[in-house]
This record gives sequence, structure tokens and C-alpha cells, in this order.
Amino acid sequence: MTVTSTSSLPASREGGSTAPRRRRRRPPFAYVMIVPPLVVLLATFGYPIIEGVRISLSSWSGVGPLNFIGLDNYISAFQDPAVVQSVLRTLFYAVVVGLGVVTLASALAAAVSRGAKGSGFYRVIWFLPSVIPVAASGVFWSTAFQPGYGAVNKLLGFLGLGDDHAWLGSSETALFPVMAVAIWANIGFAFLLVLGAMEQVPVSTYEAASIDGAGPVRQFFSITLPLIRPILVVTIMLQMIWAANEFSLVYAMTGGGPGTSTSTLPVFIYNAAFKFTEYGVASAMAIISGVVLLIVGAIGLRLSRAKGDD
Amino acid sequence: MSLKSIRNVFIQVPLVLWTLIVVTPFVIIGSLGFRDNTGIFSNPFGIGGEFHPENFATAWVGPVGSVGLGQMLGNSLAAFVFALAVNLSLGSIAAFFVTRLPRRQRNVYLTIFVTGTVIPGVLILVPMFRIFNGLGLLSNAVAIGCLYGVLSLPTTVLILHGFFSGFPEELIEAARLDGLGEIAIFVRVVLPLSLGALTTVGLLLAVSVWSETQLAIALLQNAESQTAAVGILGFQGKFVSDLGPLFAGLSIIMIPVIVLYLAFNRTITKGIALGGVFR
Repeated sequence: MTVTSTSSLPASREGGSTAPRRRRRRPPFAYVMIVPPLVVLLATFGYPIIEGVRISLSSWSGVGPLNFIGLDNYISAFQDPAVVQSVLRTLFYAVVVGLGVVTLASALAAAVSRGAKGSGFYRVIWFLPSVIPVAASGVFWSTAFQPGYGAVNKLLGFLGLGDDHAWLGSSETALFPVMAVAIWANIGFAFLLVLGAMEQVPVSTYEAASIDGAGPVRQFFSITLPLIRPILVVTIMLQMIWAANEFSLVYAMTGGGPGTSTSTLPVFIYNAAFKFTEYGVASAMAIISGVVLLIVGAIGLRLSRAKGDD
Repeated sequence: MSLKSIRNVFIQVPLVLWTLIVVTPFVIIGSLGFRDNTGIFSNPFGIGGEFHPENFATAWVGPVGSVGLGQMLGNSLAAFVFALAVNLSLGSIAAFFVTRLPRRQRNVYLTIFVTGTVIPGVLILVPMFRIFNGLGLLSNAVAIGCLYGVLSLPTTVLILHGFFSGFPEELIEAARLDGLGEIAIFVRVVLPLSLGALTTVGLLLAVSVWSETQLAIALLQNAESQTAAVGILGFQGKFVSDLGPLFAGLSIIMIPVIVLYLAFNRTITKGIALGGVFR
């Protein structure tokens, strides 16, 4: 009787500080504390998603109540060739940007990791484009691609390639400058990830390889790349997901135009909702692309966690 | 030896080239901010031309009858302050007290937060507009700041949890022996010793709030309420015939983040690596 009373007293007062059962105590108090953040998180992420599904099943012009219309928005989204093109464009954009970023970042990281002079400086400077607001770099680069005074055109003119290309004005060419700038803006992060992985490769591996007569290029392809493959896969996945989600850069450079020629899904959906007030169709597209991106994102997350377990 | 030094020079060529590609835009923006249209059209790289420092005042005050970057920077700052308050309070509580739980429950809790990092912004854009509209919170920089604070919670909790799970248990035990309650231990022992981790989180949040436009362009409809990142998009249309202030505006918006980054680049890059997710 006395035993039970003494053991229950401190437990009720200060969360069982004398309980010897486990190394880590579990005071009920902690449960109380972790609930509010969780509720706020679920409300902020969960409720809008439910609301988004409701809007996608309704006809809504931006004000007033929702009128339920079933799957009409989804049907008209799938029947619109512009939507299908936008999906394909987003995939193309994501693959080109993702591969472009990781390829260039790996080449740069390979040079720096083998002890090139000034690597500390490069590390700091190359990350700058990833830190500044994407909208601002988009605005600058859109001026740089203007015919006549744009810096890119001037440079091309200087090289004898003509300085009057209206890169962003033609629906044939407009997506390419955007992809180039996206690569420019995202290399910093990929570079740091890949460099980190390359620096984990033991120097002795390279020494053994050079005794066997493998040159630096051979070493890069036969040792470095295979050993850092897990990180490369994760980085490519991340970059593709980010590229598919990118709104600010595309919107700042072209607004999705000319026509819809540069409208990747986030820009297409924004324009459908806030320019053409087709909130229902926009929501249906958001749900479709959101589900696709969620699946890709979950795979990416799984891969990056698998990497962490090694 | 000489062969090796030739190789070293050779290897520097692409590195220097890339550095030029990275840096040149900043140099161009910096110098074109001081030019007028004549100067910009004749010297697109900013070398030469007349000197017009008043462009910065024009960008700060804005085009006639509109809002300038001065007010927009204020809005960005207000959004950041509220984002920081919401994010750090909720995030540090969640991340610390979850370390008090048994491993399995902790993993479940953290997994819920991690899932938040993969939810694409486009999925919540239209519903957020409807919700903000219904609550009368459209064009409210403080409200969007609080939203940013919550949307960044997953990253914050991941970073802080990593830090708190290595927090020395002896210190907590000692404080408990001194008679401190759980909240007092958290506020007076754990938080003061976690300023480094909290700073990392704050810097990442500053960079992301400063840049966010996808939600802001939909939720901040009045020019008076817009953050600088959205405002600069509007400048594009308003300064078509007068590019100097546009470039001056780009400088104004970039300088704070560049300074912050150069001062804290180690913390920021480390934080990004820890959080794994940016934006």
C-alpha cells in the first residue's frame, strides 16, 4: 500500500520522473504540448486540400457559394488540348531542368572536389543565384533576353550571332531561355549536395586507381559516379519536383506566354483561376497535378531516406 | 610538376567561366540601376552612360499614383516577423516535446510533418484564396505571414528535432532537480542554449518569405499590401518605358538577402542541407 502511494505521487506531479522502467521518461505533459502545433499544421494543410476537392467538383466564379457539378471540371480539363500540352510541357521542363542542373553541378563539383584552387570561394559564390528572390532573377533575365538592349542578345551580337532575337516573344523559342535560367538558379544547391557526396569518397580509392593507371576522366566515370549514384538520384528527383512546381521564375519571365507556350502547370493553373476566373477547372487541374507530384515527391522522399539510412 | 600546374590552370577555366555567368547578372543589375533608358540601350552591360542615382528614389517611392518598394519592403518585413513568431513558437514546442516521447510515437509524429514538405503549393492555392476571401484576410500581409509560418513548420521541425534530440539530457535533469517545471526547463534552459539552431531556422525562413510569390500574388491583391517579391513583378509593367528604376528596384530587393547570405553563408547552407527542402 505504501509502495503504490509513493510511486504514484511524483508520477502525477511531475510526469513520472522517478519511473525506472524506461531510460527515456514519457511525461503526459509532453503530449499536451505537441498537440497544438499538430492541429495547426493539419488545419493549414488538410482543410485547404479538402476545400480544393470541393471547389474542383463545383462551378465557382470567385465569389459566393459553390454549385456542385460533379466531375464536369475534370472532364473539360482532360478534353482541353491546352491542358494536355501543359502537362507534357511540365514534364519536358522538369526533365530538362533536372538533368541539366545535376549534370552541370556534377561537372563543377568534380573539378572542385579534386582540390582546385579557390574552392571555398566558388562554394559561396555559386550559391548566390539560389538565395535571391526567383521573381527578381526572372525579371532581370527577361530583360536580358530582349532584342536590342538585352545582355544575352548583345553578347550573341558580339559573337556575330545577331542581337535581335526576340527569344521570349516567340512561342517557338520562349521555353528555352526559361529552362536555361532555371538551371542557372538551381545549380548552387545541387552542387553542394553532389560535392558533399564526392568528398565522402576515400582518397585512397583514387590513389589505388591512379597506380592502376586510370586517368582523372576514367576515375570520374568509373569511381566517382558509381559511388555517388544514390545522391545523384535523389538530387535529380528533387530538382525535377522543384522544377515542376516552379511558379515564380516562369511567371516573372513570360507570364506563361506567348499564348500558353511557356505555361507549365503551376502557371497554367494560376492563369486559369485568377486571369480567366475558371476556379473550378483550375482546382481540378491542381488536384490532378498535385496527386502526380505527391506520388513523385513521396518516391523522392523514400529515396532520400534510404540514402540517410546507409 | 609543370604538367600538373598546366592541368590546374586548365581546370580553372570552366570554374572561372561559370563564376562569370553567376556574377555578371548582379554586376549588370547593380550598374543599370544608375542609368536612364538611353544609357541602358547603348550600354546593356552598364559600362558607361550617365549617372542617375535618383532611380533608387523612384523605385523606393514607386511610379506616380502607385506603391513603391519602400512600403513593400515594410510589408515583407511584417510578413516575416509574424512568420517567424508563428514558426519558431510552434516549431520549437513541437520539435522539443516530441523528443520526450517513445521512439515509435515520435516517428509517427515526425512523419506527419515530413509529409507536409511534399505537398505542392499549387494544390492549396485556389482553396487558400477562397478561405482568405471568406475570412476577410485578402490583401493582409500579416495574415499571409502567419500562413508562411505554418507552411514552413515541416522544415523547421525537422531541423530543430535534429538539434534537440542531441540536447544533453544531464542539463534537463539538473534543472528538474532544481525544481523547474517542464515549461520552465524548455523556456529557461533549452531555448537559450539553442540559439544557433533557432538562428538557422530564422535565416532559412527569411530567405523563403523574402522570395515567395506564388501564394502572395493570389492573396495580396492590393498593391498597398504586396510584399517586395510580388511588387517587383508589377514593376515590370509599370516601368516599361523607364528601365532604370526597374533595375534599381532589383538591387534594392536583392541587397538584403545577399548581405544576409554573405554574413551567414555557412549557417544558411548547412541549414538547407539539414532541412533537405528549400522553399
